[in-house]
Amino acid sequence: MIPGKYRSVSGRAANNVNCGLHLVIQTSSLPEKSKVEFKLNKETPSFSGRLLQHDLERNYSSRQGDHIHLASSSMPSFPILQRSSEEKILYSDRLTLERQKLTVCPIIDGEEHLRLLNFQHNFITRIQNISNLQRLIFLDLYDNQIEEISGLSTLRSLRVLLLGKNRIKRISNLENLKSLDVLDLHGNQITKIENVSHLCDLRVLNLARNLLSHVDNLNGLDSLTELNLRHNQITFVRDVDNLPCLQRLFLSFNNISTFESVCCLADSSSLSDITFDGNPIAQESWYKHTILQNMMQLRQLDMKRVTEEERRIASVVAKKEEEKKRESHKQSLLKEKKRLTINNVARKWDLQQNRIPNIAPNQDRKVSDSPQDPSQLHGSTVSAFPEETGSLDSGLSNTLQGLSVTDTHLVEVDGDTLSLYGSGALESLDRNWSVQTAGMVTTVSFTFIEFDEIVQVLPKLKIKFPNSLHLKFKETNLVMLQQFNALAQLRRVDQLTIDPQGNPVVNFTLWKYYVLFRLSHFSMQKINGTEVTQNDMIMAERLFGILAHVASSELPQYRLISILGDVRKKQFRYLLETKGKKPGLVNEENSDSKRLVGENTNRATLNYTTRDFYNERLEEIKEKKKFCKMYMEDLVKEATEINMKNEALQKLWPQMFIELVRDAVIEIRNKNSYMKLCLQQITDQK
Amino acid sequence: MLSPERLALPDYEYLAQRHVLTYMEDAVCQLLENKEDISQYGVARFFTEYFNSVCQGTHILFREFSFIQATPHNRASFLRAFWKCFRTVGKNGDLLTMREYHCLLQLLCPDFPLELTQKAARIVLMDDAMDCLMSFSDFLFAFQIQFYYSEFLESVAAIYQDLLAGKNPNTVIVPTSSSGQHRQRPPLGEASLLEGVEASLFSQCLENLCDRHKYSCPPPALVKEVLSNVQRLTFYGFLVALSKHHGINQALGALPDKGDLMHDPAMDEELERLVVRSRLHWTSRQHRAEKPGAFGFQRRDKLEAPESMPSASAPSPYPCRWEPRE
Repeated sequence: MIPGKYRSVSGRAANNVNCGLHLVIQTSSLPEKSKVEFKLNKETPSFSGRLLQHDLERNYSSRQGDHIHLASSSMPSFPILQRSSEEKILYSDRLTLERQKLTVCPIIDGEEHLRLLNFQHNFITRIQNISNLQRLIFLDLYDNQIEEISGLSTLRSLRVLLLGKNRIKRISNLENLKSLDVLDLHGNQITKIENVSHLCDLRVLNLARNLLSHVDNLNGLDSLTELNLRHNQITFVRDVDNLPCLQRLFLSFNNISTFESVCCLADSSSLSDITFDGNPIAQESWYKHTILQNMMQLRQLDMKRVTEEERRIASVVAKKEEEKKRESHKQSLLKEKKRLTINNVARKWDLQQNRIPNIAPNQDRKVSDSPQDPSQLHGSTVSAFPEETGSLDSGLSNTLQGLSVTDTHLVEVDGDTLSLYGSGALESLDRNWSVQTAGMVTTVSFTFIEFDEIVQVLPKLKIKFPNSLHLKFKETNLVMLQQFNALAQLRRVDQLTIDPQGNPVVNFTLWKYYVLFRLSHFSMQKINGTEVTQNDMIMAERLFGILAHVASSELPQYRLISILGDVRKKQFRYLLETKGKKPGLVNEENSDSKRLVGENTNRATLNYTTRDFYNERLEEIKEKKKFCKMYMEDLVKEATEINMKNEALQKLWPQMFIELVRDAVIEIRNKNSYMKLCLQQITDQK
Repeated sequence: MLSPERLALPDYEYLAQRHVLTYMEDAVCQLLENKEDISQYGVARFFTEYFNSVCQGTHILFREFSFIQATPHNRASFLRAFWKCFRTVGKNGDLLTMREYHCLLQLLCPDFPLELTQKAARIVLMDDAMDCLMSFSDFLFAFQIQFYYSEFLESVAAIYQDLLAGKNPNTVIVPTSSSGQHRQRPPLGEASLLEGVEASLFSQCLENLCDRHKYSCPPPALVKEVLSNVQRLTFYGFLVALSKHHGINQALGALPDKGDLMHDPAMDEELERLVVRSRLHWTSRQHRAEKPGAFGFQRRDKLEAPESMPSASAPSPYPCRWEPRE
């Protein structure tokens, strides 16, 4: 009986070879592969096969030279084979010509009933002279030198064709072998699978140890249950889902590296046994669970049973991977959006810098039309706002949170860095930041924002992000040393980074020293990445110390007060503007102002008012100036009038005086009459 | 002070010449702006301080450009202040570009116009590559001429252009005779392509200019002196000569002589004190920084005692206790 596993499903041809013949279908696996539990071994055939071997040996040894009579024929190249009639009767349906050193197929006369023909281990180069054996069911040409499949067109009953270990380059000329059950072509030089679509009864196909680089063209093999493709160069597999009966597929020792290249296997519902060992894919960390996850029908993988536990683990891992992929996809989307936004902001900034007023308002309008994208697009990330203590999977809690992304600006908190792009981002400082997030922020980075605008929100920054110690400025239009004065109002700055791009002030040789000088009360550690040494501080003091001295000691008192008063007024103004004056802040701001007075007073008068404010103030003063002018003019007029009158008086006075004196003298000339006159005057007065 | 010529001028002219009204107006304006603060200590004291500062030349600090430009005294004070504050930069030997000097100017006057600085730079660089580096003294003297005599220089530039073009402005005033015109034509036209204008002619025009115009111009004698040394000169050559002339500098009275430019012993003393103090500050901060506290910076602030603001008249409170280590 044919061993069960090779019994054809249709049950058709099973009985024909039922004559005590034990067939061993020898597949190619070599003994040294200890991993493989199936020892499919052509050297040591199984029990049933040993019978055959024994049989053959018996035939061979006892009848050597006796019954096999290879007579020379009339045709010089082909020997003619004749057996003794006893032989013919005993073994009427099989003929073994193993190891006969045959180089050609002999002509076999009078053996038309032959069912089994064995030509193993010879040197035959072409299949010939067997066209008359039309009852042949089993043909074994293993280990010969056949280069081409041919000469089989009449063997319509052939069921087993063993052509292993030959030199066959192509599968061809099998058209009439419609009953073929087992086709063994292992150990040849076949490069592609072809011309097998008509073999609808084929159950076992062995193409191991060939030169196949891919697997397709498998349609039509409706009975195929085992397909052996070990030891090829296969990189991808297709069409396997067209094989309705395929149960075992051996792909060991090929070149498969991704699951996508064998993805059709997932669609094959009949597959229960598969091997991938020796492929690059088997080395991957995700190999086992990916296979198990995608091929739920599998019962054995790489010759080992698939346990429930393994399946469970596989699905869990697969789910995790899926989530991770989704998450990273989301992340990359977010990053992309961020990048686009930053580009947009940069473009807008460039336009602004080139002073194209026409376009800017249009852009603003366009941008204001964009709907509330941020909440929608990043609903999940916004909801992951720490202040709501959203429950994030610990495995996925990411430090990157794009909090507000529109086309005009971008605000991002990344662990300890708060990044603001575009002037619209400054408004985000008004938000309610959780104490935790705000406390973590130590670096604040400004990009594509005018420095003057940043100056106006510095008080807010001081309050909302008290631990911000490192400020970074890029593309913020820092052009004057004076602008650094504005940073003095912060509580403390440890590090300052001014990116040369977009900040012309960095081109000045003395800018660092000025910063160190003006912000000396911060005791800065680093500027643009370089440590601040004591020598730097000394140099800064040397260069600008006198400026500070002049600014403090040579200004008249009222100027000092008015300048400092301005600063304080501005701070008050901001604090009054914040909605809901928090009581805690009041004390802070009092101490702040005290501190302002306390710190390095000789520098405190060096302030920076943004250009707009400055111009505004000058405008305001114009009114006053006009008034003053008028007032002064009035005063001057008065003064000159008085002066004129005074001068006129000066001129006239001598004359007047002389007249007065003369009048008096004339009066007193006659003493008696004068006395009488005086008495009269006195009495008249009464 | 009580000279007869003072009384000889009519009122308005006298006031205008001394720019008294400017200062009065400005004083009243300042008073209005800072009403609340000044009312605390009295108007009389305010006026005292104001005019004191005008005398000392500190009234222009951090004021707007229109005020600084208003009177010659303001301009001179501004120049002096600039010299005083940034002499150290020059002493350090740094060569700076025009923009950097402009930045320094802006530290003292936020809206100082760039054009003036550019013109000053042009004088130094002889209208050449404008991004060249300039030394402090070169720039300062050129800037002095440019800033103090801006209007004068504009007229001179106009005259120069006319002369280059062949027109003699004098001919407009004086009734022309054919001989006079003939004299002007070809020789000047050719020569101007080479090196500017003839010094003597130029000098004559300038004299007329000085007589004609009221605003400040360099003492005519000195101008003549400058022009008498050369045969021909270009506009910028003339300006450079002006800027380097000691006499004019002294006549202005704002800046010391070139040789003494880097000397200011009083300020140097002050500076040393500041440097020493900052050095102490630094080392003490380093010590403090080594001991980490919960809120290091808050502790720092507490330790820093509020300093009293030194007033304009009080002497510096620190006796010199430490010698500079260098």
